[in-house]
This record gives sequence, C-alpha cells and structure tokens, in this order.
Amino acid sequence: MVVVSNLVKKYGKLLAVNDLSLEIEKGQIYGFVGANGAGKTTTMRIISGLLRATSGKVLVNGIDISKNPRAVKKMIGYMPDFFGVYSDLKVSEYMNFYSGLYGIPPRNRKKIIDDLLELVNLSDKRDAYVDSLSRGMKQRLCLARSLIHDPDLLILDEPASGLDPRARVEMKEILKELKSMGRTIIISSHILHELSEICTAIGIIDNGKMVVSGPVEEIMAKLSHSRRIKVKVLKGGVEPLVKCLQEEPEIGRITTGNDYVEADFNGNGEKLAGILKNIVIKGVPVISFTETGENLESIFMHVTRGNSQDADKSNN
Amino acid sequence: MQINPIIEKDLKTKMRGWKAPTLITFYLGFLGFLIWVFFIDNIYSAYNYFDPRLMTDVFKTIASFQFGLIVLITPVLTATAISGEKERQTLDLLLCTDYSTFKIVIGKIVVSIAHVLLLITASLPILSTVFLFGGIGIIDMLRLFAFYLVTALLIASLGMLFSTIFRRSPVSIIVTYIMVLGLLYGTLILHGLYLILYQNFTGQMPQAPLYWVLYTSPAFGFASVIGTDGGGIISVFLTGTAYGRVAAFGQISPWIINTAFSIVVSILIIIFCAWKIKPVK
Repeated sequence: MVVVSNLVKKYGKLLAVNDLSLEIEKGQIYGFVGANGAGKTTTMRIISGLLRATSGKVLVNGIDISKNPRAVKKMIGYMPDFFGVYSDLKVSEYMNFYSGLYGIPPRNRKKIIDDLLELVNLSDKRDAYVDSLSRGMKQRLCLARSLIHDPDLLILDEPASGLDPRARVEMKEILKELKSMGRTIIISSHILHELSEICTAIGIIDNGKMVVSGPVEEIMAKLSHSRRIKVKVLKGGVEPLVKCLQEEPEIGRITTGNDYVEADFNGNGEKLAGILKNIVIKGVPVISFTETGENLESIFMHVTRGNSQDADKSNN
Repeated sequence: MQINPIIEKDLKTKMRGWKAPTLITFYLGFLGFLIWVFFIDNIYSAYNYFDPRLMTDVFKTIASFQFGLIVLITPVLTATAISGEKERQTLDLLLCTDYSTFKIVIGKIVVSIAHVLLLITASLPILSTVFLFGGIGIIDMLRLFAFYLVTALLIASLGMLFSTIFRRSPVSIIVTYIMVLGLLYGTLILHGLYLILYQNFTGQMPQAPLYWVLYTSPAFGFASVIGTDGGGIISVFLTGTAYGRVAAFGQISPWIINTAFSIVVSILIIIFCAWKIKPVK
C-alpha cells in the first residue's frame, strides 16, 4: 500500500529525514514512534504530498507522489498535529466545505457528513459553530474531515496530543473503530502505551533515521532481550525482597515501588521457579509473582538510547 | 457544475451577521449625502438655477470615490488570503486535498473582487440619478464598471502575490499597498520627473516620452475612462502630451491599453501564485 524508499529531506544543512525506508501493507495500523524532532511529521507530510522530498521515493498504491501528487492526495486523508479551523463556520458547513474541495457531489454530501459526525460522536453539534467546540471535539471533527472522501490511507499526526484523559479515551475508541473497519492508518503519538494497543506494526525513528520497522510482535520478539518480573509484597517486604533478588545471578536491573519490585530476568522457567521458592523460604511476604512482557515504551527507550549513544560517540 | 467551494464558503460567511449590511448601509448613505450636497450647493448658488451639467461632476466625483475605494479595500481582502490561511494553520488542510491550487487562488480572488463589486453595484441606483439629467450614457457607465473590474482584478492579484510570498499578513498588506500606490501614482511621478529632467538638461521636450510607463498606471487609465481633460494631479505629470489619445499606440485610449496590461499581468500573477503554493511542484 505504502512504500517509502531511501527518503531524504534536508532543510539547508539540517538533515531532517535520513535515508528512511518503510513498507505498510493494506489494513495495517502503523505506529510511527520517535522523539520530538525525530522526523515523524516531516515524513508524514512528504507522504501526504505537502512537502517535497530532497531525494527518495514514496509510492502509494503504486503511484509516485512526486509524479502524480493529485492522484495520491485523493487516496489520503491527512490530519496534522497542529491545525486551525474556520471559526465562522458551523460544523456541518465545515464538513460541506471540505466535501466540496474533494469534489463530492452536493446530493451525496448530507449522508456522508451525517455518518462521519456520528462516527466521531459529533452528530448533536452539527449546527454549532466550529469555534465553540472543545479541543477534543475539534480533533474529532478534523478526523471526520480527513475521512470525508473515503481515503484508502489515513495519516494521523499526533491525533491525541493536548487532549484531556476523557477526550483521549474517546479518540482511542474511534481509532479502534477505524481499525475494525479495516482502514490503513499511519499514526504518530508520544503515548506509546496507546499505540501498542492499536497498532499492528510500528516504526521507530530517531534523528531522521528509521531504527526499526515491522509488525509489533516481530519487533517485540526481536528486541526483547530480557523478561521482566513483578513481585507484589506486603508492607515492609520490599527491602528483604530486593536483597533476595540481588543474590540471584539471573536478575538484572531492579526497580521498586511502595509495595512491589520489578526486575529484569534472564533465564528459563526453572530458574524463575527457583527464585520464587527462595523468596518464599526467606520469609518475604509475597502477594503476587507475575511476569510482565517488555512494552513498547521500554523497547523505544532501549533502541533510541543505543542510537543517541552512537551519536554522542561520533560527535566526540 | 459545482461552485468553487472557496467562493461558496467565503461569500456565505462574510455576508453572515451585521457587519456587511452595516458597511453597505453606511457606504450608500455617504454616497447619497454626497449627491445631496451637490444638489443643495447648486440650487442655492448665486445664479439661483439648477445647472444639469452638474451631473457630470457628480458622476466623476462618485466614480473617483469608488475608484479610491477599490484601491483601498482590495489589498486588505486579498493580501491576507493565503498568509491568513498560514496564520490560521488551515492552509495545509486545503493543500492536502486534491483541489487544484489554481482554483484555490481563483476562488480567493473572486471572493475579494466580489466584495468590492457588491459595494459598487449597490451604489448603482444612486449613481443612476445622473441619467435623469443626461450628459452621461449607459456606455460610459458600463465602461467604468469594466475598468473597475479589471483594476480590482489587478490589485487583488498583487495582494495574492504578496500573500503567497510572505508568511505574515501585516507584512503582506503593507507591501501590497506600497506596490499598488507605486503602480498608480509612482508611475505618474516617474513620468513627470523624466519630462522635467529632460527639459532641464536639453531645453526641449523629449521626442519619445515614456508613455509606456503611464500605461501601466490604473490611475492614468481611470482618468481617461471618466473623460477628464487632464485637470488635477494627473495633468501635472502629462505636460506636453495630447491627453486621452496618444499617437504612439495608434490613437487607442489609454484605458484600453491599461486594461489589457492589467489583464495580462493579473493572469501571469495568478499562474505564479498557483505554482508557488503548490507543495510538490
């Protein structure tokens, strides 16, 4: 569906995107992960036809964006990270305006607009002025706008940024709905936990370079160097537990909370059972002993830390 | 056929509320007052009779007032057209659609011209009082409106040009005003200076004056549209020329040449603007 090959974008001497390649299949929800200034927005803008790449190629459904941007734009719905609205328009007029720009015949518009406003839970706001909407509602309206021409590919740049927890949950629910509808989506977000819930594939970008890209499970399996365990204890049990764990050679980095301890573990199931047995024998008041998988956040930190260290070394 | 959505949206939103009707009301009220002053002044003059030739003066005064209105209002309407979208962060949302940038530019220009034309068209009943007394024909009126339209197009295109070049609307507005005033009156001043300097250095008038500079000025064209005989500020810069007809262009009226110039320049600017805002060229 989307093939990006050796994409480079330079702003003067600044290299914003450095030889980036990725592939997204139809129906995939591709999470674009990276720190601020890593090159996510630049890449998304290039794919959306809003920015010319310095070099490299972007194909959407086999069409080269640099050769036929209008054909590609027809297939893409883009939601930028920062956007404004026409304050003097009502919600339905706002949607009508964009349906006009996408060439949707007037007789078809009402149904499309009604369906989309229902999808983003704004049906009751159709006669409200856009300016009177909350930030979360404006984000949802912008999402509805990006869907108005029924695009093959949705590009959502930080759709949940600046939203309160409730609005964030609402946005997540809409994205899940879009996922169930089989849409192909590229989405960037800082909230990695949310991305890992929605995405089927991820790409981690750092300093303009794609560090890793592929299906979530594959990346998790490839990059999860250690297992992690979480042990909950009664009051006063954290300190003796840490002492016990520090004696075990298979235990790595340990972090503590008020009533729990988390630790990296490199070993097999038998060793893990042995550790639990030792803890209990030494009288640590254990409530629960569970294994937690490595999450997207820790993988992101792990991958980008390695890169920033490389960058530091090369700078030195 | 579908209406350009930009025209549809802007016309709808700008005519909504009390601002537009209030503006039109005050504008028409002012024009009405102007004509009333002319009548009163004429009726109570020393000769104590009504002179129908007065209506030609009324026509020229109102036409000049409206020309000034076009020059003053149009830059504000278009010089913010694209820079305003940039400031509002709505330009990306326009450009990510497959709507052509040419149609976007045309839409913005039509909207701004439409507002100016609305004011002028609304004034037609008041301006028509001149027909009551003769001296001004329907052709004169149509010619004036055609000239207004083309001048508004040129100024709107210039505003659009700077609106695409500069990110900030105030900068774009100021540069547009400087450019418009330069084109209107700077050209006349330039021509006048040329004549004065040439005469000072050689002691005679130039054989081939810089007429082409004058033809780029809508003010010069406007003077010929309303048939002024070269009185007022414009005549200062035209010393030695047979005003209204210039042999170098085969007796073609200056307003026709100026109109042709404005149309060509406007088209070139519109094409450039459409190209300039296109993200992937």
